[in-house]
Order: sequence, then C-alpha cells, then structure tokens
Amino acid sequence: MPGVSSDSARGALVPLSPESPAAAVYPLRHGLKSPISRLSISWSRGNSLRVSVFAAPSSDGSVNDGDGGKVVEVKLGGGDGEISEAHWRRIAYGSVSPFALLQSRKNAVFSLSKFSMNSSPYDGDWWDYIMEYSKDINALLVNQKSASVPVLDDPKSVITKGEEPTSLKAAWELLEMFYAEKPSHSWLPERLVDWLADYDSLFSGTHPTVHSKLVDFQKELVNLQVVEDDPKYWEVMSSALAVGWLNIVVKMLRLHGSYRLDQLSNRETENGLVEAVAVLISKMPRMRLEHEAGKLGECYKAKPDFVKAWEKWRGQINKLDSSAFWFQCAHQQTREGLRSMLQIMLGNANSLCSATYNWIELYISHFLYMRPLTVGLESMYSLAQKSIQLKPMASAHRLMGLIIGILGENTEVVLAECLKGFGPWMVAHAIELLTAGSDHAEMLLHEERQNLGGISIEELHRLVYAQVLSSFPLTWQIAPIYLISCMKHGMVLLQRLLSKQPVQDNQLLLKSIEICRLYELHSVTSNIMKIAGVHHWKHGRKGSGVFWLQQARDEYRLNRIALQLFDSVGKTISDESFKQWEGLIQLLGSDSKTAGGLEFLHKYRDFKKSLRQIHDGKATDSARQAVESLISLMKNPSTPQRFWLPLLYDSLKLLNWKERPLLNVSQTNLLLNKLQELSMARLRPDFIESELPPQALNSVRLALGTNLGRAILEE
Amino acid sequence: MEKPVATLDKGAICSAWNYCGQRLAAGSVDGYLSILDSRDPLSSSFTSSFKFKVHEGCVVKVAWIPPEYGVAVACIAEDGTLSIWEELVEGTNPLEWKLCTSFKTSSKVLDVQFSVTQTSLKMVAAYSDGFVKVFELLDPLELKNWQLQAEFQNVIDSVTIVGKASCLTACISWNPQNGEGQESSFILGFNSDTPQLNSPKVWEFDPAHQRWLPVAELALPVDKGDQIYSVAWAPNIGR
Repeated sequence: MPGVSSDSARGALVPLSPESPAAAVYPLRHGLKSPISRLSISWSRGNSLRVSVFAAPSSDGSVNDGDGGKVVEVKLGGGDGEISEAHWRRIAYGSVSPFALLQSRKNAVFSLSKFSMNSSPYDGDWWDYIMEYSKDINALLVNQKSASVPVLDDPKSVITKGEEPTSLKAAWELLEMFYAEKPSHSWLPERLVDWLADYDSLFSGTHPTVHSKLVDFQKELVNLQVVEDDPKYWEVMSSALAVGWLNIVVKMLRLHGSYRLDQLSNRETENGLVEAVAVLISKMPRMRLEHEAGKLGECYKAKPDFVKAWEKWRGQINKLDSSAFWFQCAHQQTREGLRSMLQIMLGNANSLCSATYNWIELYISHFLYMRPLTVGLESMYSLAQKSIQLKPMASAHRLMGLIIGILGENTEVVLAECLKGFGPWMVAHAIELLTAGSDHAEMLLHEERQNLGGISIEELHRLVYAQVLSSFPLTWQIAPIYLISCMKHGMVLLQRLLSKQPVQDNQLLLKSIEICRLYELHSVTSNIMKIAGVHHWKHGRKGSGVFWLQQARDEYRLNRIALQLFDSVGKTISDESFKQWEGLIQLLGSDSKTAGGLEFLHKYRDFKKSLRQIHDGKATDSARQAVESLISLMKNPSTPQRFWLPLLYDSLKLLNWKERPLLNVSQTNLLLNKLQELSMARLRPDFIESELPPQALNSVRLALGTNLGRAILEE
Repeated sequence: MEKPVATLDKGAICSAWNYCGQRLAAGSVDGYLSILDSRDPLSSSFTSSFKFKVHEGCVVKVAWIPPEYGVAVACIAEDGTLSIWEELVEGTNPLEWKLCTSFKTSSKVLDVQFSVTQTSLKMVAAYSDGFVKVFELLDPLELKNWQLQAEFQNVIDSVTIVGKASCLTACISWNPQNGEGQESSFILGFNSDTPQLNSPKVWEFDPAHQRWLPVAELALPVDKGDQIYSVAWAPNIGR
C-alpha cells in the first residue's frame, strides 16, 4: 500500500516505517534441480506476480542437468473449490450489468435528493432496486450440477436429484435475507429454517449433519423390509423433525409397517398412534406469512393468532402423550420412537440437542420448538451463542463465520468473513447490500480513510476486485466498469490497465481503443495508437503503420516518415518499392503541416508515374505530359532546391528525346537558369550535395544545351 | 498458487518482461539473448522464438525499450558494452533481430533504463566510474543515433568531482508519471566504495537551465553511505 503522505500541500518524502504486521510468506515451488543464484520479480497484469528463478551456472563446465531457469506466475487468492473457472467467469460477466445498473440508479437518486427535502435519499423504490440487484446476482449463482436433495415424489425415496448448492449462493442468500429484504418482510427465524433446508448439505463435508444422515439412510432404505425395526429410522425422523423438514418426516412415517393393508387389522392401535403423530406434525403452527404449495404446517401472520394455535397444538400433543393407548402399543421401537418425537415437538431441550448434529441445526430447532416468537437480532445472536456453547465445533465453516458476523451486527466482521471465505467478488458486490438500509454501515464503508490512502473501504474492495479481473485475459474487459465507479483511484488504474494491453492482436487493439473512447481517455488512446503504428511500421506493414500514426495524430513520426520518403527522390527504385512509396504518399495526404508540404511529393509522384509510362522514345504525348510536370515542378516554389538536380537527372531521357526537342526555348532557358542558381548555391557552406554520380551535372547541362539548340532551330 | 510459465535455457542469468508482459527477454552467460513469446494470447506458456548472440561475454542485464519506439532490447555485457537490438522486417527479409547501435567506453555500463517523455526517448546509463550519462534519441523511427545530453556524477554537490570511484553495480528507475507540466525524473543509486555516490538521489530535469538537478536524497543520515542494490519507482495512482 502507498506510504503515508504528509499533510502539507507541497508533499515531502517520508520514509515508510515498517509498522504493519509481518508480511505473509508463501513457499514457491520452481522445480529447478540446481541451487538458485538469482531472482527477478516483475508485476504483470492485475495482481499476478512473475518470478524468474535462475539456477547457478556451473563453473566447472560440467553438464548441468536440468534447466537454466524457470519463470513462474503467482496469483494469490486461489479460486473457490466448489465453483469451476467457467462458472466463475459467467458470474463475473453476469454481475456487470446489475452492478452498473445499481450504480446509475444510485447516482440518479443522489442527484435528485439534492433538490428534495428528504433527509434520506432511500425510499420505497430503493428497496425494489436493491432486491432486483440481489435477485439478478442470485440467479447467476445457480449451479448446473445436480445433487441429492430431500424431496418426495417416489414413495420409497426421501432424497432425489436437484441443483447442487454452493456455499457462495448460500452466503448470498444469507446476505439478501438480512440486508436486502425490507424489514417488514422478514420473518427471520423461519427464513433461516428454509435456508438450512436448502443448504445443510454444504456442512456435510466438515461436520455431521442431518442431511448426511438422511442420505445414508436412503441408501439403506432400499434393503430394509421392516423399517420400524431399524433404530436409524426413528433417529433420522427425529432429526428431520428437529430441523423442521416436516414433509420428509410425514412421508417417512407413512412408510411405517402398520400402514400395510395386511397389517392394518392387527396393528390398529399402533397405526392410530403413528397417524396421530403424523397429523399433529402436519398441523404444526408456524409463525410465517405463507408456505410454498404442498408444504405442511399452518401459517399465522399475527402473533395473537399464532399463540392461540400454539397453545392448542401443544395441548393436543400433551393429551396424546398422556393417553392410555401407549400401553396398548405392542411394538417397542414404535412406542419409544414416537414418544421421543413428541418430546421434540414439546420443545424438550435434551431431545433437541441429541437429535441435531451441529450448532446451526440446534439453533434452528430452538426457533421451531422452544422460542418461536424470537424477534430482533440481539436475541437471535444470544441464542446462537448458546447453541454454539452446547454444540462446540472443532473446525469452522466459512458460512458459520458469516452467520455469526451477521447476527452480531458487526459490519466489519461480515466483510472480513466474506473476503476470507468467498473472495473479492463477494465483497465487492455484497457491500451494496450491506449499505442498503443501515446508516451506520454506510458511514463505515463510505468514509474516506487515511490509512488506505484516502479512499473508502467500498472503493478499496472494488479496486481489489478490478485487479483480480485484470489478471486474467478473459475478464480484463469488465474491470473498467468497476474502476470507473471508484472516484479517487479508478481512473488512473484504468489508464494503467489499458496502457498495458498488447497491440499485436487487432481485435484486442480495437477493444482497448473502444474502451478508451468510452471513458474519454484521449491521451491513452493516442498512445496506444502510436505504439500500434510504430509496431506495424517496423514489422513491414508500412501502410498500417502510417494509418495508426495518423489516427494518433503523431506529427513527429509522420514528419520523419515523410522525410524518409524524400530520400527516394532522384533515385532509381524497383517497381515494387515505387508502388509502396507511391502508396505511402497517398496515405500521408497533402497535409501542408508535414515536412513543409507534401505537395511536392505528390507532384513528384505524378511526374515519376508519367516518366515510367514512356518507353524508348515513342509515345510523344505522354512525354509531353511528363515535360509539363517537370516544368511545373521546377517552377513551383515548394520544390526544395536540393531536388533540382535529381529531378533534372531523372528527366535526362526527356531532355535527350530523339524525335524532337520536347522543351521550347523559354522552358529550356528556365531550366538553364535554375541550373545556374544551383551552381551558385553549391558554393555556399550549408549546401547538401545530393547523391548522384559526379557527371550528373555535366550530363544535364549538356542535354539542356543540346535541347536549346534544337529548340531554337525549331522556332 | 504458482504456475510455471516458461523454462529458460542453461546459463540464463537475467530476464526482463516487456511493457505488457507478453514477451520475455532472457540473457545468458554465453552471450546469447533469447526472446520468449506465448503462441496463443490467451495461454500463459512462453517458448523461445528467437535466440541470437549479442556479446562475446556474459550478458548481465537486459532492458526493454518503451514500445512507442519499437520492439527493442538493450543488453549490457559483463565487459560493460551496451548494445541495442531491434526486431525488424526490412524489405522482403523475414522478421529478425538486428543490432542498432553499440556503446563501448573505457568505463563499464552498469545499468540502463529508458523513459518516454512527451518529445523524445531518453536513456540513462550508469557507469562504473560513478558517472551517469543521459542520452536522447534523435530520430523517433531509428534507434541508431543517440545524442549525449548530460553527464554528471551522483553527488549533490556538483562542483567537486569524485575521482577514481569504483562501482560494482548501479540501479536506476524512472518516475513513471509523465503528466503535462511535470518534468521527467529518475532515481539513481550505486553500490561502490565511495559513500557519496551510493545514496539514492532523485534527479529532475530543469528545462530553464537545461540541466539535471538532484531534488531529493532518499537516505536517512545514519545510513547515507550504504550501498544500494535495487530501486524501483511505485506507480502513482492518484495522490
């Protein structure tokens, strides 16, 4: 990070004291056999670091097995194990428009709020925008892979295929739940119950979960003849009940042997008890707005209604629990299993604790059966702490850390957990949710901080994410969107990003220029074009070179090119080179700024062209045309004096025309005068001698003299 | 976390990436310069596409010339010769690397760095006798003609000349910021036996007097005479 700058306006150089904590150290594998003698480091695009490791050259001349050196590229912050690179790119590309849309809406809202009297610019529309943003991003996180999810179509299966959840999506939904939804819509405990139902499987890798027990039981289920004899059957049902997966429980209950038609007559009481429990479960009151279709349980919106129903329900459970039918139930496991399920429904803390496997499940079970009326993050947080104490975990899962941070209402912890567990993408996009409704969070994240170089935390994370995007050739093009949303450092970083793009590939070049134009980075545009022009020029593609230099308005180099073209005047060059020379003059145009007028070059080109059309003294008309061009060239003041002799030397053919003298007296006199001027000029010290054979002047003089004679005779 | 992107031949001793990180120049102890490219712009695996001899002795340092002036590399040999090689297509010849110019003086060149100003390309070369020379390119399209613009020692006091200095290495870094109204500047440090030469100083061009002036000395009074091995200028991103 940049060192501390002084406050004085002039700026002084201040030594950067190493007060920051010890830097992280990472081992680097290079694969060289010999010991290392040197290292060279260089930052590449974005945040990739390239390290060249050189092996010590062998001093004794022996054959060194292995290579002389290796170059490795280091990108810190590896990807998410659950998400493939292609999926990550889809997410990155897909997040761009929701992000950009939200930023433009934010700007619109802020500019409007300057004129209105509202203290806070956030109104009803704002929550809709945030929700739209959140849903758009959420849609991107859907994984194409499918996995096992507890559902209920097939009678014998409790688990079926569905979409495989990812921690990233789980995390996003948590943030959406707590920050993006309007406060009046949140029935947070119930939302958490649903959330766990979707994502409990994510914890199975590192912690024991109800989901994994279900999956295991499903495998055994196919082989079981008499389900109710297997103690696992009852355990799994209790666990599912504890976390509120009512549909699964009821379905499993109906697998009970007592439902079989041939058993019905013998096990009537047993069946009655099982059915009674099933009915009670399906009528469980829940404090929420509504259920998805097909889900069991009765929903209540208002607290008094819920409380009444809850007491009634509990009363029914107690009545069943104390009924005499239990003694008549012959099957022991059924009796015990059902009664323990009743205990769960009655909110028995021990039963809940033994039925759940990790603290989140225990937490959820407390909401369902012990404290269904919990409101407020504070009470939710203290309940979570209690659950953690009751079920301490050896290792932490990134989602768990996130939940604790959210419940603790600690924005910094939430950000830290997002960054640590889910990476820069998550932080850059989640900040929008965090600042949505909370003034405190907004202040915290938008405040400019000196220790960060004068930028806010929000800007810092966007810049970090943009750097990550810049590190990959397939995603650098979306980095600009994030960079321009950063007020302070974004533009400069964008300029750097664009200046470092290669120009060889035409498509890439055009893309870079397009982005530059979009953000009005004129100096970067002309620089890129300049580099492209020079590159093409030096690699034999002179036409493209001139084109790009013209686009860049690089007068300096174009002048030099024009001067180079001048060098070809008076020299014999091959047809191919002539074509190229001619083409370049065409491209350069007759812009009078370049090299004091390319007008001369154009005329010279026309003259040369007409000269070439003359073959062996035959076509008089074209010869005459050539003479006209010659005369006009010699008369023209824009013709530099140093080219007079080369011009005349070039036209020796014309001057020595066999058929008849092509120049009349006055024309010949004009040329002779010019020649005289030239001889005078040669005496001056600053005269530049043109590279012509030594007898050139004499041959021209001779030809002109002869021509004069013939012309006089003609007249 | 790390991924190998290139393997260098035996004897490789120094390397430098070009401005966009797409080409690598590597110098070796037997005087060869290799240029490595990646075949596919999306892949990050580099293989040698050119390898040619640049010096009789060991190549100790390579530096790329800014792309506004072509695809070229400056090589410093162990005997102190500086040569500039450029990738060109001339006429109908295929693409090849050609020697543009070579500097050989009695004192050895220790380090060279290039900078693009608004008007021209400047080259700073630090020599083993403690002097530093600033060259300017005359023709933007030819890397042949360099004009010596300034010659001075890395000392604050410009009047006295430190004689008989013997420097082992030097390091130079140009200020990457070339905004309008800002003169170009560079920082220079030596590793030598003469303490006054060592401390890194920032030199800025004064157009009024057409001279280079030291504007800052980046050393605490305690360790002013310490040898300097490497300097680098951080990119300015908005402050």
